[in-house]
Amino acid sequence: MEEYHRPCDEVGFNAEEAHNIVKECVDEVLGGEDYNQNNINQWTASIVEQSLAHLVKLGKAYKYIVTCAVVQRSAYGFHTASSCFWDTTSDGTCTVRWENRTMNCIVNVFAVAIVL
Amino acid sequence: MDRRSRMTKSSPGAAHQSPVASKKDRRPSMFEKEAYAQILRERLRESIHDVQYVEPPFDDSIADIGKEWKSALAKLKFANSYRMEPLKKFQAHSVETKIQQILKDSLKDVKYDDKSFSHLSLDLADRVLTAVKEFGYHRYKFIIKVLFIQKTGQAINIASRWIWDVAWDSWVQAKHETESYVALVLVFALYCE
Repeated sequence: MEEYHRPCDEVGFNAEEAHNIVKECVDEVLGGEDYNQNNINQWTASIVEQSLAHLVKLGKAYKYIVTCAVVQRSAYGFHTASSCFWDTTSDGTCTVRWENRTMNCIVNVFAVAIVL
Repeated sequence: MDRRSRMTKSSPGAAHQSPVASKKDRRPSMFEKEAYAQILRERLRESIHDVQYVEPPFDDSIADIGKEWKSALAKLKFANSYRMEPLKKFQAHSVETKIQQILKDSLKDVKYDDKSFSHLSLDLADRVLTAVKEFGYHRYKFIIKVLFIQKTGQAINIASRWIWDVAWDSWVQAKHETESYVALVLVFALYCE
């Protein structure tokens, strides 16, 4: 019996692709818009869902978690930290910070490999 | 720097596309390729973005160390355990009470302070990770996210979506609110099949 070893997992998580996908999704949803209380729920949901859909289309054997925080731009303090317990050779993360005149947006992608 | 150069490029473009000099400056049609790029540039004129943190790092120098070990491991053949499910399934409620306790203990009487909070957030994330590992869930991978938001009257919206195995993977959240800030901890547990 031969062990089937997936060749693409050797490369690990491709953070470059992930950050391009996320940046495009955020640009599409929030580009040129101002902060609006009525739409904000819909925007965060669509940013996250679209990023996830595009990531899945890459076709790699990964579980994804995408988190997005959108904050109205004003004078405030914001700290975020994350700590992960995983396999560093195959799993990875990418954080993209996007801002415009009225809001700040931070999107975080975590990708955890599925060992087949 | 980037924004300024983009703005100067768009004005000669607009002049080229409407050669008939009408009194009003007409927006170029969506169907011309250059016009679409220009409209996109206008929309994104006020926005900037950057990539904050990436792991594995883009230059990949550290990642190679792990791969040698991993390929050596692949040559070893492990016997099948025939285990389809985790020994102990992730119990969200017990983890939630524990994390709420940790938050309450470490943030009791702590006021919002710009300089110390960046260090505190990393410290808290590591503490929560060790506590979750102590529960002893085998073959689970964990992701902890800690957020501190200062209360200054602005609105914030946080959303998460995931793709995972609904049977074994789960998440937990704990919130600690004080007068000057809100602390939010998210824990994601993924079964490594």
